[in-house]
Amino acid sequence: MALTPVLHLDGVSFSYGAVPALENLSFSIAPGERVALLGRNGAGKSTVVRLVAGLERPDQGTVWVGDWDARDCAPEQLARRVGSMFQHADQQLFASTVRADVSFGPRALGLGEREVERRTDDALEDLDLTPHAAHHPYDLPPAFRQLAALAGALALEPALLVLDEPTIGLDRALRARVTRALLERSAAGVALLVITHDLTFAAETLERGLVLDRGRLARDEQLAGLVGDATRLDPLGLVPPPIAALSAALDLPGRPVRAAEVARELARVARGRPVP
Amino acid sequence: MRSLTLDHASFWYPATASPALRDVSLEVVQGEVVALVGALGAGASTLLLVAADLAPRVIGGRLTGTVARRDRSGIVLPTPWTQASGMAFTVWDEVAFGPANLGWPAHEIARQVDRALERLELVPLASRDPVTLSGGELQRVIIAAILAMDPGLVLFDEPAAELDAEGARTLWRLIRLLASEGKAVLLATSALDAIPDVADRVVWLEDGAVRAVGTPDLLADVAACDAGLGTSVATVWRASGLPPPYPLTVAHAVQRWR
Amino acid sequence: MTGGGRLHPFTLLAIAAALPALAWILPAPSGGLAMATIALGLAASRGLRPGLRPAVLTAAPFWLFLLLLHDVPTTIAIGLRITTMVASFVWLVATLEPARLVEAMIAAGWSASIAYLLAATLSAVPVLKARARRIVEAQRCRGLSPRGGIAARLRALRALALPLVLSALHEVDERALALETRGLVPGIRRTPLAPPPDPAVEQAARWALLLACLAALARRFIVPRFI
Repeated sequence: MALTPVLHLDGVSFSYGAVPALENLSFSIAPGERVALLGRNGAGKSTVVRLVAGLERPDQGTVWVGDWDARDCAPEQLARRVGSMFQHADQQLFASTVRADVSFGPRALGLGEREVERRTDDALEDLDLTPHAAHHPYDLPPAFRQLAALAGALALEPALLVLDEPTIGLDRALRARVTRALLERSAAGVALLVITHDLTFAAETLERGLVLDRGRLARDEQLAGLVGDATRLDPLGLVPPPIAALSAALDLPGRPVRAAEVARELARVARGRPVP
Repeated sequence: MRSLTLDHASFWYPATASPALRDVSLEVVQGEVVALVGALGAGASTLLLVAADLAPRVIGGRLTGTVARRDRSGIVLPTPWTQASGMAFTVWDEVAFGPANLGWPAHEIARQVDRALERLELVPLASRDPVTLSGGELQRVIIAAILAMDPGLVLFDEPAAELDAEGARTLWRLIRLLASEGKAVLLATSALDAIPDVADRVVWLEDGAVRAVGTPDLLADVAACDAGLGTSVATVWRASGLPPPYPLTVAHAVQRWR
Repeated sequence: MTGGGRLHPFTLLAIAAALPALAWILPAPSGGLAMATIALGLAASRGLRPGLRPAVLTAAPFWLFLLLLHDVPTTIAIGLRITTMVASFVWLVATLEPARLVEAMIAAGWSASIAYLLAATLSAVPVLKARARRIVEAQRCRGLSPRGGIAARLRALRALALPLVLSALHEVDERALALETRGLVPGIRRTPLAPPPDPAVEQAARWALLLACLAALARRFIVPRFI
């Protein structure tokens, strides 16, 4: 007996006025699944996020968030199930401390003070932001504000996290922090839908790829098989990330795409080779 | 010929005790692309502002040492929506904004704008309102707008941040083209894997000071990998325990593997 | 383009200045009523959402304050004048294209910096509106409900106001820097790209408006002394 999907789009079409953005889009996300939403600029990815967050209603088809029809829900209701983070989230912080901003979401959900504190602390810790918890958000550099905004979404402890380009402007160390935090949440059953241009990050953090092309779903498959394949990525405007390309070029057994696995295979294969 | 020379330059932001740049000496020659790499806050953006004569002239602060510029400079900031004029209703007008401010004659403006639009593949968007563009499209418009002012020294601060893979590829190719036309390019970027194909030299900034200067091979050094500034291939090679020197790119790795 | 968009920017400015001026100078309440009607009509000609609605919504709180402080005739007199000011400004922002204003000012010899300052003020409104919308959306997605009691609404306002003001202030700084990067050099005369045409009829109309204001002023203050 299959569990109710956390998110299910059924034949969704949407246009901004006369401009079509999505056409007959259908897919499901199961609890704990980690999904990348990929595609060129303008392919419709941000539109999907807006529909899932309840900011737009589909022209055709239905967006199911669990067993709720998103059409019947206001964004603030959907916040109980969906934690969204939009682009340039660093401009949306408003509380006087990072902690106060992160706790805003759980408090708005009407939770008791102790639960609010727990969720806030967990979110801050997951992103190593506890040292900055008492700072004014606008005293922090933009990268840390972005992490604070992500913490705000995590603190909602939703069944589904929908993130639009969460790693723009972050360096490698901070991206690794985000990967770790998201993998931990996913292990606890949270589903992820992440828009990203960074296929390296996608390969490290996510397992399934939905590729949009001009508003339509062009590919829905496991990332491991997709990211190393330049011939299939090229027509979609995508480029294999270097580690996946390396794995394919050296024909490593199993064609791993995550850094730790590639490193392991490299070592293994090198050990087994005759010394020149 | 040297386009930009910094000689023991140090810079303090207004009302700040510690310098954002310490004793930086650096030169960029016409026809070359120099990439600035470093952790967040290492000083790359500040260095670009100093090179563009915006610091301390416009943003305040204190500068010691000397900065010498041979050519007019143009800088592409990482936030295209603030660099847009807000006063142009079409992409064409937006790109023409800078040249018009420079007081050039109308036919020269038209020539530069048309050329810039073509280079950035913006001709189909020429009559669009900039306000309706996506972040990536707007970034390309701003790049076109800066290039239309025909700077001899072109400064880029994270120009690929908003771009998708195809947009980034076009950008790196364009940067090489600019260098081949004799412009000097100084580029701050965290897209480490693109640097071997784009840059002639790499300057590693740490805490406002120059830690190392070299060819892109610098990004395969043990030190760079440990600092999180190695290319993906070099970093994973190091992680595998294989001995240095580490390959810089997939192509190098394939060669090494044979 | 309806509502005067193809008029010379200076003409638009003249009208937007003359209407409130006349509303204040002409005897109340008929003067104010006439000017307010014209101003609201102009605002409405830009459409319901961009024109009439913001004009009415912005003027309404002033009427409430006035009612608290004054009697009905005074409220009506001042309220009509304020409505004229608000409606004229709303019409101006909706009609005047900042780019055309800049071109007109530069063609008339104004410095580019002053022209941009004025244009930036005009274009600030739609930019801030768009940003406010994005911020409200983000807050709603975190559970902030724009509906509810006073406490909830105040919370919602704070959740909007602070990031909006902070980002607007931050942006003023960044904009000044950004304009510098776009070639704004003091002393260089900007090339006019498409100076708006200024037909003699419009120039005459502007002078006529000015004379009308002066005449009304004279009639109000000077003439009675001689009677």
